[in-house]
Amino acid sequence: MSKEQKKLLLRADNLVKYFPVKAGVFRRVVAQVKAVDNVSFDVYEKETLGLVGESGCGKTTAGMSVLRLYEPTSGRIIMDGEDTTYYFMPIFKARKYLKTTYVEPLSKLKSEKGSIEAAIKSIDSEYDRAIAERFLKDFGGDGNRLVNAMLANREDKRKAFRRDAQIIFQDPFSSLNPRMRVKNIIGEGARIHGLATGSDVYDRVADIMVKVGLSKDHMSRFPHEFSGGQRQRIGVARALILNPKLIVCDEAVSALDVSIQAQILNLLNDLQKEFGLTYLFIAHDLGVVKHISKRVAVMYLGKIAELSDKKELFDKPLHPYTVSLMSAIPEANPEKKKQRIILAGDVPSPINPPSGCRFHPRCPIAKDVCSKEEPELKDIGGGHFVSCFFPGELKRGL
Amino acid sequence: MDKKNALLQVNDLRTYFHTEDGIVKAVDGVTFSVYPGETLGIVGESGCGKSVTSLSVMRLLDEKGEIAGGKIVFEGKDVMEIPESQMMKIRGNDMAMIFQEPMTALNPVFTIGFQIMEAILLHQDVNKEQARKMAIDMLRKVGIPEPEKRIDEYPHELSGGMRQRAMIAMALSCNPRLLFADEPTTALDVTIQAQILELMKSLQEQYGMALVMITHDLGVIAEMAQRVVVMYAGKVVEYAEVHTLFKRPRHPYTWGLMNAIPSLDEDREVLYNIPGVVPDPLDFPEGCRFNTRCPLATDKCRKEEPPLVEIEENHTAACWYVDKLIEAIKVARAGEGA
Repeated sequence: MSKEQKKLLLRADNLVKYFPVKAGVFRRVVAQVKAVDNVSFDVYEKETLGLVGESGCGKTTAGMSVLRLYEPTSGRIIMDGEDTTYYFMPIFKARKYLKTTYVEPLSKLKSEKGSIEAAIKSIDSEYDRAIAERFLKDFGGDGNRLVNAMLANREDKRKAFRRDAQIIFQDPFSSLNPRMRVKNIIGEGARIHGLATGSDVYDRVADIMVKVGLSKDHMSRFPHEFSGGQRQRIGVARALILNPKLIVCDEAVSALDVSIQAQILNLLNDLQKEFGLTYLFIAHDLGVVKHISKRVAVMYLGKIAELSDKKELFDKPLHPYTVSLMSAIPEANPEKKKQRIILAGDVPSPINPPSGCRFHPRCPIAKDVCSKEEPELKDIGGGHFVSCFFPGELKRGL
Repeated sequence: MDKKNALLQVNDLRTYFHTEDGIVKAVDGVTFSVYPGETLGIVGESGCGKSVTSLSVMRLLDEKGEIAGGKIVFEGKDVMEIPESQMMKIRGNDMAMIFQEPMTALNPVFTIGFQIMEAILLHQDVNKEQARKMAIDMLRKVGIPEPEKRIDEYPHELSGGMRQRAMIAMALSCNPRLLFADEPTTALDVTIQAQILELMKSLQEQYGMALVMITHDLGVIAEMAQRVVVMYAGKVVEYAEVHTLFKRPRHPYTWGLMNAIPSLDEDREVLYNIPGVVPDPLDFPEGCRFNTRCPLATDKCRKEEPPLVEIEENHTAACWYVDKLIEAIKVARAGEGA
């Protein structure tokens, strides 16, 4: 597969994010909103992974967890060959995390396999193998040395992560501080990260503004003096000035009118080519996601239902949810009378998700097994992942 | 089409808002008609005046808004001449409206049953018990499960899709002949949108009412409407039968809009960019209002306003160069192919 040559930039590994529901005088936790429940995906360098789903499916929470704007409940986030999961944890949690994730399993693995070489060989993931080598060979199996080495310079690592991973928000109105001038909104990050000082910052701001299609003469203006599309360009510029490796676009074009939406999508595409950017593109609009993404993950109620190359996914959707989602979209073509698959009911509550496959209460082809067992997200060939017991059985009517 | 049979005729409607900054000509010369039982789509981007058009017809403008000119004829009666007391009988009974955000359009402190019954009691000669029965019946028709129970729930207890169903139940409770639907599915998820659109279609067949579908989504228009009005900056730029419009758009704005949407069917490397932004309603450009963003604009467009001209039967567009567009598209397509 060609994927082998591509460099992995971001790996979300069994990402989980629960939000506690508190009630009563003592604010006891009475339930958990399972917003993201065991989600794994890879994003390769210079490509766009689309994350699509209906409201409440956890796509935004997944994006926020990757950036650690929410602290994930569990799971690993590996970025650019580094485990970044413990960067933002309190120190005691970080120690515990490193111990349970690396020290303990690797020590156990060593004693199981008998030798260091055999243990290292048995690890699939390249990243984990590197850590195992460091731990078992360089540090001679001393857990404390590994933990301390990984925790060293955590402050610098955090800062580097914050610089490398940026976000563009949905609402261009509430995401810009109305009391700051545009030059400071865009330039603040560059100043904090020491990319430029003094008035050099504004030279950089001017450069970036031109790149995103704004006039540099407008840099002393306030956000309210710009239109919605222009504000979204400011948001893009703010992310871009730090030369990030990854940009999470959280519904970046949903609040915009069609003609402006096209402008921003084209801009994002052009910038990706020019700067070699990597996007995690979160949106509810399948058309938009299809346009911008290389690969697409479809989420439903906190889980990934299907993940595949864009072309494969749209030509040959296998999960019944993906099939019905595609058939539900009204297309701007009156000649084409589609056979709609209308899903009954609403998306269930993530506090108490259905047993087995989470889609089964709405699934037109659900069988007994679907309500009892949970299907795994499996690769059925060519990097096409689907979590369904009966993939491809629901056909799209034409 | 025969104008005499039209259920609603809007002729050169002008609705202006008097604001502190000046007069906003939100709707400035809009003409269309709606025939019994059909669906007319009004499409355009935010601020084009599509919602204000429907509010004008329903006479629901706030005190700043004023119908400055034109004529609205509903079932042979001049709507502007009807006294307010009479208008209250027509509104909700003969013509009704559903709004985009069902959470803000429903009153949060009353049960949905109360709100539906209110309309029934106001317009029909029935007692409370009968009205309740009718409301339950209506809720069942719009696909709300267990309507006997749901009727006593408050709007916040319902999901977005269910709320929109309740809104539709309220609007249809008096069997109106004309229904305005202002972005009825924009706030909903696609699978729920599909449910609501399907529901509206089947109810329309059942009741034979005319529907005016106001939306920014060309997909919804293609799905629902028989005829379409395309609006830009308070004006109608194109008016045609739906198949004609999608096959042969003749106004550069319509064409641009269609090519700006990412399609599920075909892969386009670059989306068509309508350059610039919608002009400020306080300061519309002279001549054709689209001239600042139009690739075909000439000096003539910047000076003179193009009238709506008939291109073929039931197809009008307001552009000086309705014939040039097709040529321009051909050139653009050839350029893409090369």
